[in-house]
Formats: sequence, C-alpha cells, structure tokens
Amino acid sequence: MTKSLLILATTASALAFSSVVSLAGEVTWWTPNFNEPRARELVEKFQAANPDITVNLEITTSDGLPQRVLTALQSGAAPDIIDVQHGWVNGYAQNGLVIPLDDVLQDREDYIPAALDYVTWDGKLWGIPYRIETHAVIYNRGHFTEVGLDPDSPPETWAELVDVATKLTKEGRSGFAITGGGEVGNTIFRSLPFIWMNGSSMISDDMTKATVNEPAAVEAVTFYTDFFRKGLSPASTLENDGTANRRLFIAETVSMYQSGQFDIASIREENPDIDIGVMRIPHPEGKDTAAILGGWSFVVPSDAQNPDEAKIFLQFLAEAESQGTLTDTFPARKSAMELPRFNDPILQVFKEMLPYGRPVPAEKNWVQISQAYFNGIQSILLGDMEPQEAMDVAAEEIQALLDE
Amino acid sequence: MNSGTQNAVAGFPALKEEGGLKAPGLGKPLIFVGSVLVVLVCLFPFWWMALSSIKTLRELYTIPPIWWPESPTLGNYYKVLFESNIPRYFLNSVVISVGSTGLALVLAIFASYGFARFDFKGKPLLQACVLIGQLLPTAAIIVPLFVTLRVLGLVNTYWGLILVYMIITLPLSVWMLTSYFKAIPVELEEAAIIDGASRLGVLFRVTLPLSIPGIVAVIVYAFVTTWNEFIFALCFATDSSVKTLPIGLAEFSTEFNTDWGAVMAASVIMTLPIALLFLSMQRLFVGGLTAGATKG
Amino acid sequence: MYRPSTGLLFVLPALIVLAMLIAYPVAYTGLLSVTDGQGNFVGMSNFAKVLSARATPQAFWNTVYWVVGSIVFQVILGTATAVLLNQTFAGRAIVRSITLIPWVVPGIVAATTWAWMFHTEFGIINYMLTGPGIIDQPIGWLTNRDTVMPVLIAINVWKLFPFVAIMVLAGLQSIPNDLYEAARVDGANFWEEVRYVMLPQVRPVIVAVTLLLVIWGLNSITIIYAITRGGPANRTLITPIQIFRIAFENVQFNQAAALSVMFFAVAIAIVFVYIKALASQPREAR
Repeated sequence: MTKSLLILATTASALAFSSVVSLAGEVTWWTPNFNEPRARELVEKFQAANPDITVNLEITTSDGLPQRVLTALQSGAAPDIIDVQHGWVNGYAQNGLVIPLDDVLQDREDYIPAALDYVTWDGKLWGIPYRIETHAVIYNRGHFTEVGLDPDSPPETWAELVDVATKLTKEGRSGFAITGGGEVGNTIFRSLPFIWMNGSSMISDDMTKATVNEPAAVEAVTFYTDFFRKGLSPASTLENDGTANRRLFIAETVSMYQSGQFDIASIREENPDIDIGVMRIPHPEGKDTAAILGGWSFVVPSDAQNPDEAKIFLQFLAEAESQGTLTDTFPARKSAMELPRFNDPILQVFKEMLPYGRPVPAEKNWVQISQAYFNGIQSILLGDMEPQEAMDVAAEEIQALLDE
Repeated sequence: MNSGTQNAVAGFPALKEEGGLKAPGLGKPLIFVGSVLVVLVCLFPFWWMALSSIKTLRELYTIPPIWWPESPTLGNYYKVLFESNIPRYFLNSVVISVGSTGLALVLAIFASYGFARFDFKGKPLLQACVLIGQLLPTAAIIVPLFVTLRVLGLVNTYWGLILVYMIITLPLSVWMLTSYFKAIPVELEEAAIIDGASRLGVLFRVTLPLSIPGIVAVIVYAFVTTWNEFIFALCFATDSSVKTLPIGLAEFSTEFNTDWGAVMAASVIMTLPIALLFLSMQRLFVGGLTAGATKG
Repeated sequence: MYRPSTGLLFVLPALIVLAMLIAYPVAYTGLLSVTDGQGNFVGMSNFAKVLSARATPQAFWNTVYWVVGSIVFQVILGTATAVLLNQTFAGRAIVRSITLIPWVVPGIVAATTWAWMFHTEFGIINYMLTGPGIIDQPIGWLTNRDTVMPVLIAINVWKLFPFVAIMVLAGLQSIPNDLYEAARVDGANFWEEVRYVMLPQVRPVIVAVTLLLVIWGLNSITIIYAITRGGPANRTLITPIQIFRIAFENVQFNQAAALSVMFFAVAIAIVFVYIKALASQPREAR
C-alpha cells in the first residue's frame, strides 16, 4: 500500500548507510522481510560449518526495495550480497554495479534455463537465481460443478476460456476477473503473456521499435479487455489489482482469476470451503501458453567489502537444499524441486507453467513503457478508446521512449 | 491594570454574566440537527475502521459487507499491543510530536508577534518567505534534507526529526498566530505600555492570555501534523528506537498481503488519544474576552 | 513609536531556523533541474522534456480542478461547522472532539478505508444505497470517469474540513462580546450576526487558512496516490504525483527537479497574488 511512498524515503536514507560496511571475515546479506525466518536458519547452518566467517543479516522491506538497492549500489556503501528481482539484474550489470558470478555457479544444467538467461548479459552471468515463479489461473471447482462443467478438464484455449467464463457468469458472480487498477505490474503480469502467446510483444526484440499496436498484439489486448467489456469480469475491475481479485474470489463472487501460488495460503485461511483448482493459462488455438517469469536472484555489488567470503557464502546459498529452504515459491534448480515441500498437489500446475516463463525486456525505460501501456489498457476499460486506437497511442509514446 | 480578561471563564460567554440582551443563537433544533450531521460525517469511516479492527480476516472482505462481526475478536489489538513494535513507536511519536510542537510554538509566538505588531523593511517579503518551506514538493527536498541532517549528525535521532518538522509546522503556525494576534485590540497593549510594561511583558501578560484559543489551535495543528507525518519519518528514522507510528503502520504490509485487521487496530490506537487529548483541552478553547475592556 | 529593528528581532529566530533548513534543498533542486544524470549542465532541456510529456497538461488541469474543488467545500463546510461549534449547548466539548477525528486519522488509512467503503462490490456505501432500493445498480464510484475525481475531492474535503473548523473556531472565540452586543442593540438576528460580526472578524483567519489549503492541495499526494495512483488513464493525475512518479518510479531526478522548480514558481505566484489582493488588513481588530 505504501510501496512508492517508501521508495522516495529509502533513496535518501541509503545515501548514508554506515551499518552496511562489513569487517574482514564478515559478510553482509540483505534479504527481504518475507524470507526472514528461513534466512536466519540458513545463516546459522552456514556459520556452524564455517566458523571463520560471520554473516551479518539485514532485513529489507519489499516496499521501495529497487530504489534502496540502486542507491546503495551507486553510493559505494553496499553490502556483500543482495536479494533482488531478476528483472533488475541486467540494469546493474550494464552500469557496472555488480560483479560477474560465472565462477560461483555450479551445476549449470541443474538450473531452469530461462532463469539463467534472465541474468545473463554480454556472455556473463551477473546473478545467481534462487527463486522462480509464474502465474497460473486459479479457479473455484465448486462453481464449475454447479453449472455442469467438469472441474477436472478446465479450458485450455482462449475460445474455451471465454466460453467457460460466460457459462459461469451470472447475477452476483463473474466468470473470469482481470485487473485494471492498482500497481502497473499487476496488469503487465496478466496481460503481456497473452500478447506473447499470440506471437507478438510490446517492443521488438532488438528494442528499437514499439510493436504493441501490431495486429497480433492488439488481438491479445482485445481478448484481455473484452472480459470486462463483455461483463465477464467484475464491475469493479478498474479499481482492482491482484489482491482485490483474490478477495473477490474468496468472497465467491469470482470463479477464475490469474495469480501466483502465494495466494493459495490466503484463500485456504480465509475461506477453507472453497475447492481450489489451478489451470494453466489458456493459449490461442495451436500455440503455446506463456507467462512472465518472476523471482529473485543474488547479486554481489562491485563495491562489496568482502567479495571472496561473499562468494563462499553464495555457493552455500546456491546449493539445491538451501534454495529449496529459502524460496517462498519455487527454487531455480530442478533437483531442489524434488523436496517434499514442493509436492503439494495444488502446486502441480504452477510447476508445469515454469518452463513457459519468459523474462521481460531489459530496456532502461521499461517502467515508463509499462506505464504508457497500462494507460492504454485503462482507456479501453473506461470505454474512451477502442483497443487499436489505445495501442496506437501507447505505441507512439513507447517509441518516443525507445528513441531516447 | 488590565480588566479585559476577567470574564473569559470556562465555557460561558461573558454576555450571560453581564445580563445583557438575549443572544439570538442558532436555535436548539438546528443545533441538534447540525451536530448530528457533523458527528455522523466525521465518525462514520472511523466507526467502520473500529469495526474492522475487531473482525477476523475471514469477515473483513465479504460481499455483501458485514456490519457487526459474528465472531468479534480482540486478537488484532493483542497483536498490535504485544507482538509488534507499536508501543515503542507510540513513545517515539509522543516525544517527537511534543518536541516539535513545543519548539514550533516558541519560535512562532515570537515571530508572529513581530509580524503582527511591527512594521519593518521587507516585512511582506519576509512573511512570504516564511511560507516557502511549505511550497516545496516533498519529493524534491528529501534528498538534500537528508544530506543536511547527515552533516549535522542528526540522522536517526529525535532532534533530527524535530528540526526537520519545523519546515511543515513553523510556516503555518506563524501565519495563523499572526492572524490571531492581529485580532486582539491594539489598544489593550498600548494601555499596558503606557503603564510601563516592556514589549516582552506585553506579549506575555496581555497578548498571550487573550489569544489562548489561537495558541491551542496552533498546538493542535502542529501536534496532529507531526503525529501523522510519514515521509520524513521514513527517511530520517530508520532505527526502531526512533521510528514513529505511521511507519509502524506500513510495517504491517508484506509482499502480497497487508494485515488489515492489525492496521485498523493500530489506527484506532493512533487516533483516539489525540481526540481525547483535545477533549481535555476544551477548557482552554474558549473566548468571551474583553467585554467592556475597550470602552472609553 | 515602534522601532523597526525590534520587530525584526522578534522574527529572526524562526527565520533563521527555516532558512537553515530550506536553503540547501532549494539550491539543490535548482541545480538538479539544469543538469543531467552525470552532472553536466544541460540548460533547459529537462524542462522541455517534462513539458512535452503527454501527461503534463492533463495533470495541470486536474490539479486546478482538485485544488479549487477541495478548497471551496473545505472552507464552506469548515466555517459552517465552526459557527455551529461556537454555539453553547450540552455535549459541545464531545462534538468538538469528534469533529477533530477525520483530520487526525492517518492519511493512508483514511484513504484506503474510504477506497474500501466506495468499492463497487465490497463497499458499504453501495450496500447502503442498494439495500433499501435507493439505487438499483451499484455505482462504480472509483471506476467511472465522471465520479472518480469528485469522490477523491469529497474524501479530501472530509479529511481537512476539521482543520478549517478548529482554526476558524479559535478565531470566533476571540471575538469581543461588545461587538455582539452592539449588533443586538441594532436588532440583528442570528444570521445577520454571522454575516456582520462573525465573518468579518475571522476574515484574517479564513484568508490564512485558505492559503494554507491551497498550498496543501498543491502538495498533497497521499489520498490520490493511495487510491487510484493517478489513474484511471491519468484522469486523477495531479502534478505533485507526476513529480513523484518521475523522481521515484522512473528514477529521473533531474526531470523531477525541473518539474518541481516550475511547480514552485507557480505556487509562489499564487501566494504573491493572494497576499497582494487579500491580505491588506489594519492592525486593529475593528
């Protein structure tokens, strides 16, 4: 709720961090608050096996983190290891803020290739991924049965999704909820994969041209926004983000919606009566599904005080067992995936979606590009413009950003 | 020497004691309707917040919304009071708000008196300059302010925040107090001077007592503003020994979830004390001054 | 009779403190606005970039709408409430304290609570309106392009009218009673009292308060940011939020500084006009 208000704060505060500098034999590790208990466990384990290295654990908040990290990296007062999201890594690499980690990586074949690709640039590896995740579609099996659909064979194509959503929609219930409000990322994560599935993208692969208004992309955007325009998504779509949709799902006024596995725990706690089903994100006929690969990597700043000890600790953290312990969702290593905690049947489909995860383009103005796109989506949902027109406007703005 | 203040007694306009003409007033029915409206408008969202603070997660987001929870719980309050940092932050907030309010009040009283009663070169310009701090967008001044504090060695200290809060409390306090001082008849002060009082004496013995409602208003303003201030506190107080309540609120949010029950409970805890404090200050918030003091 | 330098002495402490605190930020922002990310001087190019952004004119007009809309109602409701609270009646102290509450509730929490109450489906407001059949369909308060800004303005009014009420009430409390007496001798009724005694006496307070409301309105981002982030489709984007976005989401400090400088200039102009046109007051109370 206070994500960006915190951003501006921490930018300044990081400027003078003195607690960040480590002494010899000490490794400072920044990890976010949701990792805290498991991180402490790992630290203890490591220190028991390596008595000459002390790990200094600092807990960061997820709000405002990108700015705090950026400022720490640029100010020269950086820790030794930082947890960052995959998408931030190449930006740091391009600016010489982190060191390559090819020598730390072991068992390259054990990693999900897309995860490594995300943090590879100029032929070198700049981060060690430890956590990956994607969205899928969560649905209410009870609702399916109610309208005579088989909950064990959920829709697989776009046409089937629309069909099922229509059947599920009635007074007081929406078949498939999309997002139209909240932070921009919510809608990027949910609508961009549809564009990818249809063979297009927001910007060209060489990042010189805006392609969001090409026919295949517009078709995908139309598909996404039509859920609202045809009444299959709730009336409140423009004020809803992923969390709001989860709440609507919990209140049983929504039958299907896209989200990640982190929602499952909340749903089970707040409405245990719901029989939760998970399906892969439906794809156009004859094409594959796609999703944005989310997740976290470790990076070592160029200004780290103790890079050598940091690398030793990093190798420990990158072990399959450590990754399996630390991650909130899935580890980035296939062998770690075998651990018991990932065997919950409800996670099965999320696992299946992983190979289809793709990184977002590593363009320096990506934040503004996504904002321009998001404004376009909102204009469509508001009824101000048709998809083609909205995407033309967005493409113009995106092109200007690419040309900068 | 000064006959004006004797009738400024708690709550009763001096009029009644004088046995003067009957005050038209607003009329009971209108007062009643007006008060009910005001109370409803002001209290309704807060009532909703308080209700939410005793609901379990299950009952918070229902369709249709529930008024009174089936299983009310004090668990949120327990969590906030005993399992979070809120009590410590409460203490910090009190220290910082009291400190800021005090400092702002002292500085503002003098400055306002200067602006209200004196004429000097560049006065309009200086008055306008006082406002400048409030015009700067916060996003623009955070970083340089941080550097300033760092140079002074005041990051993560009570004094650091108190000082920085002068930017948001002082300008308004000066402006408001200047208006309140101007409303006091100058003749009273002139009379005191003729009787031999110094300017400072006049300030403390004549002007201030007569402008107590204004002083109270400024105290309330400074206190409330610093109590709820979020952005500066976030930047300049990163240690829990100095962090304030608004930051405590933000700490209930994690990556994908906000503990709304706890946030609502914490908000109730943040809001009620101030309202109660104001209630206890009502005695001072009265007027009825200078009846007959300026005659003749 | 008064020696100018005494006045200056009174004013100096406050001025020094303020100067110390804002001198550097003002200089820093100014410098940032004419340099680029690497520190090279680039003249007005940051200003040009910001002005040419698609969102800038829209944000400007939204800001005008937001500020004017909020202030009108904040002042009217606040003053009316102050007049009410100035009356003597049982329970007055409690009503006054309750009036304070919207102002005291933390901004973020107030914003999200209102957003929740106005939510098309979870919201208690739609529930209360559709239940007894006052309206048949729930209203998309925050999703409809015509209602979203008025709703945000209403929340802003709710949040700040207590401030106006308390400040004006303090002013009302200082009105000397012989003024009331004089009016009554002339046979004034209550409304005439309000018009000829109360309002003129609190005019300086209302002027100062309004000025502050303008400044706050120009600087306020909490309510809008927490609820709509400036959307949908920039419909509620106001300039302060644009500055915020540029600085902290796009990490373009130089452009944000340029926008801040322009914003600052406009704000100063407003204050200047205000002071010249309205604040000429005599030193005496009458």
